Amino acid sequence: MKNFTRLLFIITVIGITSCSPKITSNFTNRQPELTVDDKIALLDIEHTLPENTVKVGELRFQDSGFSTDCSFNSLMAQARDEARENGANIVKVVDKKKPDLWSSCYRLRIELYKYNGEVSALPQYKLQLD
Amino acid sequence: MKIIIKSFLLVSVLFLSSCATIVSGSRQNVEITSEPSAATVFINEIEIGNAPVQKNLKRNQDYQLTLKLDGYKTYETKLERKFNAWYLGNISIGGLIGIIIDPITGAIHKLKPEEINGNLKSGTTYKTKGGNLFIKVSLEIDPNSEKVGQLEKSE
Repeated sequence: MKNFTRLLFIITVIGITSCSPKITSNFTNRQPELTVDDKIALLDIEHTLPENTVKVGELRFQDSGFSTDCSFNSLMAQARDEARENGANIVKVVDKKKPDLWSSCYRLRIELYKYNGEVSALPQYKLQLD
Repeated sequence: MKIIIKSFLLVSVLFLSSCATIVSGSRQNVEITSEPSAATVFINEIEIGNAPVQKNLKRNQDYQLTLKLDGYKTYETKLERKFNAWYLGNISIGGLIGIIIDPITGAIHKLKPEEINGNLKSGTTYKTKGGNLFIKVSLEIDPNSEKVGQLEKSE
């Protein structure tokens, strides 16, 4: 009975704490933090990165094994928060794996850039609520 | 008598096998109102409409809530996912399947406004009723803005 209670406790703790995807970040050139009013462009695989950008860092979203909050929109929203914190105004998806037999999550490799031009004018992905 | 008890237990286990998912669902209805009304509401920087506004949000995500109105300071807070006590129904009643299903559907969570050191952001009040979340935001006047006139109703 004690083992069963322990098992329930472990599953509950895992269930509560492990819903987020695993995020790995590497920032090589941090910039001053942006405000909520600063626009950030989300560029998907098919969108072209403009010229004269400065690379700020990289992000990698992986499936932690228990991730449930890992839709494309959710990951892009999290990437935008990271970009804003580190002064980047372009989020560029460079590698995208869609949910498949092995994982129910999107897995993304993202590069973050600082661009001095008008980011609103760039062709970009329009974020949606799931 | 034993058969009745066994049947009752079996039915309980089957029907309460994902307690939170059955009771709460995987989405939560969130209604946002503002004082003064008609502030533009953004969730994750996506414009939802003018307050009062309702949105059915997935429970398994955190959201950034922003309200903007000319002449008032931009209001920002987070809607955070917290533990939904209905999940405990799986443990107390023995719905083993629910222990796995509820986290997958997101029903293990409920959305609440962010609290810092136990306090809500200034100007925020909320209540939950029937599983729905009602948030009221009182916007602060922007001291940098200046009133230049007032529109009057034409007769």
